[in-house]
Amino acid sequence: MNLAHWAALAVTAFVAILLVALLRRNNSPPVQRFFTKPIAAIALAWLVFAALTAIAAPWLAPYRPSQQLDIVALTNRPPSWIHPLGTDAFSRDLLSRIFYGGRVSLGVGILAMAVAIVAGGTIGTVAGYFRRGLDGPLMRMVDVGLAVPRIFLVLAVTALGSGLTLGPLILLLGLTGWFATSRLVRAEVLVLRDAPFVQAARAAGAAPWRVIVRDVVPNAAAPMIVSAALGIGNVMLLEAALSFLGVGVQPPAASWGNMIADGRDQLATAPWTTIAPGLAIALVVMALNAVGDALHDALDPRR
Amino acid sequence: MIAAPGEPSTLLPPMTDEALDRDIFDQLFLKLADIGPDGNTVGDQGFRPALAARWDWASPVALVFHLDPRARWHDGRAVTAGDVAFTFASYTDSTIDSPDRANLSHIVSVEARDSATAVFTFDRRYPEMFFDAVYHMRILPAHLLAALPHSQWRTAAFGRTPVGDGPYDLVRWTAGQDVELAADSTFFLGRPHLRRLVWRFTPDLSVAVTQVVAGDADAIQVLVAPDNIERATAASHLTLYRYPGSVYTLVTFNLRANGDRTTAHPILADVAVRRALVLATDRARMAQSILRGHGRVPPGPLSEMWMGLWFSDIVVPPFDTAQADRLLDGRGWKTGRDGIRVRGGTRMTIHLAVPSSSGMRKAYATLLQEELRAVGVEVMIDQMEAATMQDRERTGRFDAAIESWNTDPSATSNLAEAWLEKGPSNFGGYANPRFDSAVGRALASASPGDSRRAWHDALATLASDSPGIILSALDNVAAVDSRVSDVTFRPDYWGADLRNWRIRGDRLTARDRAER
Amino acid sequence: MRWLARRSLSAVATLLVVLTLVFGAIHLAPGTPFMPRGDRPPLDAAAVARLQARFGLDQPIAVQYGRYIGALVRGELGESFSARRPVAAMIADAIPNTLLLAAAALAIEFLLGLGISIYQGIHAGSHRDRALTNLTLFIYSLPTFWLGLVLLLVFGERLHWLPVGGITDPAIHDSLSIAGRAVDRIRHLILPAVTLGLIGAAGTARFERPAVIAALHDDYIRSARARGVGSRRILWAHAVRNALLPYITLAGLAFPFLLTGAVVVESVFAWPGMGKLAADAIATRDYPVVMAATLLAAVMVIVGNLAADCCYAVADPRIREASR
Repeated sequence: MNLAHWAALAVTAFVAILLVALLRRNNSPPVQRFFTKPIAAIALAWLVFAALTAIAAPWLAPYRPSQQLDIVALTNRPPSWIHPLGTDAFSRDLLSRIFYGGRVSLGVGILAMAVAIVAGGTIGTVAGYFRRGLDGPLMRMVDVGLAVPRIFLVLAVTALGSGLTLGPLILLLGLTGWFATSRLVRAEVLVLRDAPFVQAARAAGAAPWRVIVRDVVPNAAAPMIVSAALGIGNVMLLEAALSFLGVGVQPPAASWGNMIADGRDQLATAPWTTIAPGLAIALVVMALNAVGDALHDALDPRR
Repeated sequence: MIAAPGEPSTLLPPMTDEALDRDIFDQLFLKLADIGPDGNTVGDQGFRPALAARWDWASPVALVFHLDPRARWHDGRAVTAGDVAFTFASYTDSTIDSPDRANLSHIVSVEARDSATAVFTFDRRYPEMFFDAVYHMRILPAHLLAALPHSQWRTAAFGRTPVGDGPYDLVRWTAGQDVELAADSTFFLGRPHLRRLVWRFTPDLSVAVTQVVAGDADAIQVLVAPDNIERATAASHLTLYRYPGSVYTLVTFNLRANGDRTTAHPILADVAVRRALVLATDRARMAQSILRGHGRVPPGPLSEMWMGLWFSDIVVPPFDTAQADRLLDGRGWKTGRDGIRVRGGTRMTIHLAVPSSSGMRKAYATLLQEELRAVGVEVMIDQMEAATMQDRERTGRFDAAIESWNTDPSATSNLAEAWLEKGPSNFGGYANPRFDSAVGRALASASPGDSRRAWHDALATLASDSPGIILSALDNVAAVDSRVSDVTFRPDYWGADLRNWRIRGDRLTARDRAER
Repeated sequence: MRWLARRSLSAVATLLVVLTLVFGAIHLAPGTPFMPRGDRPPLDAAAVARLQARFGLDQPIAVQYGRYIGALVRGELGESFSARRPVAAMIADAIPNTLLLAAAALAIEFLLGLGISIYQGIHAGSHRDRALTNLTLFIYSLPTFWLGLVLLLVFGERLHWLPVGGITDPAIHDSLSIAGRAVDRIRHLILPAVTLGLIGAAGTARFERPAVIAALHDDYIRSARARGVGSRRILWAHAVRNALLPYITLAGLAFPFLLTGAVVVESVFAWPGMGKLAADAIATRDYPVVMAATLLAAVMVIVGNLAADCCYAVADPRIREASR
């Protein structure tokens, strides 16, 4: 890591703070409600920074994430100016791996949550809106899904193949994560379908899908957005646990989860190899939770 | 107190060959005789009497054992030649199906001449016949097991409450927690010094090491990873012991197509390509990185227990990427735009299977991936559970796999099983009649010298065919609390001399004095 | 009553679907049982086949499924492939350990979480409140196993304050007095229970803080205060009780997850409970144990849901009507 890399990192941090500051100048009530607590601004800036470092990893990272610098002389080096987070057991630069790992961890979190929100939202809406006939079987299905602890379900499915590639892993995490969302959405839709404006739309002869898309979904979106923000964090924690058990993201791709797993054996002798990715996950999940809370306050007009 | 990474499945000897099960039941049950500290398996040199006080040859194929008259089962009954005959009948029974059955195939019969004399008859003479007669079988109490139907041995209650004749007797086995043994103060070969032995079960090696380093357990027989060795070195209350390891690690290539045993592998069937892959890997440096001096690169699929077969003149290809590049170019594998070689539309991509449970093998996979990329070979690491990996290997659904074999003191069965054309664990489909005939000569020859020359031929053939990349033979490093003295290890079974370990009176702690 | 019968019936149906799905998944997974665990040469193919035949694994999957359900109806869980013991005995060994850990974790979660939220409720808006909010948010965001590893490193290996795994010290446990044994158990319990409980406590505090604040500003409390009731009594008798009601339901639903969600913590701390049993069984393809663990987990979740539904239904007759 040379001076240029440090400068690039500083610029990235500056851009993140600038973006949040610009957003904060917006005067609309939800935005102002969002920024009521100072932690919301800090959390958002941190998330933007994490996202920027992930996107710009090829330019920001001093090394390739799988590059083994010197497998005898440079393994398990503690943090220094050249390797700000140290190196791991394979003499790979941890900071570079954190940047690239962020692509995978954040990407898996966001995409899996998108799958879960689409699945849960669709099924919750359908069940809640159409009730008769569909509601019972769909909700029984949700009962089944909620009856098996998610980690068992995921472990059982990962046992089917050997080492899932990213696509299937995202699908798996998404498709095991929508049960609670669908309940939430169904409850919301149950209330909405009897709301006067929805009844009016129906009385005017609008087709059911039209009513759903135009009147129901936008009004049920707030809890979905909040649960998505919290859900991304949960997926990231689950991915970390899976990688810890050896069935998560496969090497050489770095994810924060498999970095912790890689460092586990060196926890006593080179703790930074585990602590850096652990803190990366914890701080991003914390920021997501804080942003989720702030979104909840911002989008809930009752407050 | 010994930290054990796992829990035994049963303590009934013929039913299991798991290392931990053996560690424990070898304190409970005796063999007729056992190999000595030099680990010799040829003839009967160096073997020490155990249950048999002495032995002699009635004919070239008839071996007579005279039992020690002092030997007693822990319930007080004398050990008899009838027990020996019963044991042989049990180990070779098809329903009981012992993993050791194949090792006894040259023994035709075992008969009790009288209550203290057992006669073994072989089908022919061969170098390791004495070893086969004594090493595999732990003598069982016929009076307690004869009535047990053979189909129930697998889950017999005796396997959890065994009655043996060894230096220690079982006190209790608490599922999920520990097994406790107590010294038999009347043991006929001398009272064991350590009064109690407790094996404490932990989920994996890392927790087991933590327990020893933290002083919650007193001993662990193999630390495996260099990080564990560093942790133990830093703990002032521990003494480290180094002894030859019984494990070797290698990449096995599948010479037949992934998932189809009838066709040749599109990349790995070519011996020049295999040799290039060996040349492209800096095995010495990898061993230095991963093992940090606690192991070395052997000249063949050999553990440190078989130093007699580490022939210095068998040439291991040096690390030479230029030569590897030339070999691959010469076979028509041209470097493509993304740096990976291609030939006739086939990318040079190799899937490398590793078990997710083994930190060392995962580390090797990570290093190999980078090193082979440098010569244009793309390695995809397939991490999988150990059970899945074995299944894949058995059915030929792999390109390459990193295997570790834990070996017994005789190289015979392991090398034959892994590399003979019809060997049961020859997963890669290696076949060379020259190797097969050399092994045949080694097994059949009556003189140890001829046998050794034949092994040399076999290993030289194997080295030039490069059916895999030999990565390392591990040293074993044990950590034992410093208050324990007289600690010695035998490579094939670390606990062989456990009954001679002792704690001096002035160094006993409250834990040692704790009485049940 | 009819409503309850219908819900029970659907619970049994749910259970059957769960069992069928897991049975299918684990049997279709690659890898077979009876593979050696360590670095041993594998059993030869014929020996594996003989073992599989013994356990009926050579039969078509439908036959195996029929046999399994049949045995289950008779109350038989089968025999473990790897431990060579009846599954029922293994579960009977594991459950008390898991219950102990879950109960301790739940106690920490509950007492610590509630304590923090009440403290925050009383000091709402202060610096300390804000600091605690951020702290609980941070702890709530930690990966469980990572927290466990770090606690183990610091308090077990580095400081030697606490043992580094297991549930007792087998070298001395049996020689101790009753009080000594209790201390031994508690010392082993602290780290895993704190790992699980701390994250739960952070969650509880986050959930309860607004509830405590709302309860403190309730009209009822205000009028009680106006009547001159002591503020400490107000806090305990009224505010906390009101704030607790929703939480109890939540805790009831969370309990089964504490039992099974401890998979990772149990494996970090060598705690011989259900989670570890299940994880090991999946890895070794020990079908009977996997099925039994799933069954147990699903039963607990379903019974928990059913109980929660019943409570709601008793409280609110409209739900009974609505779920027709």
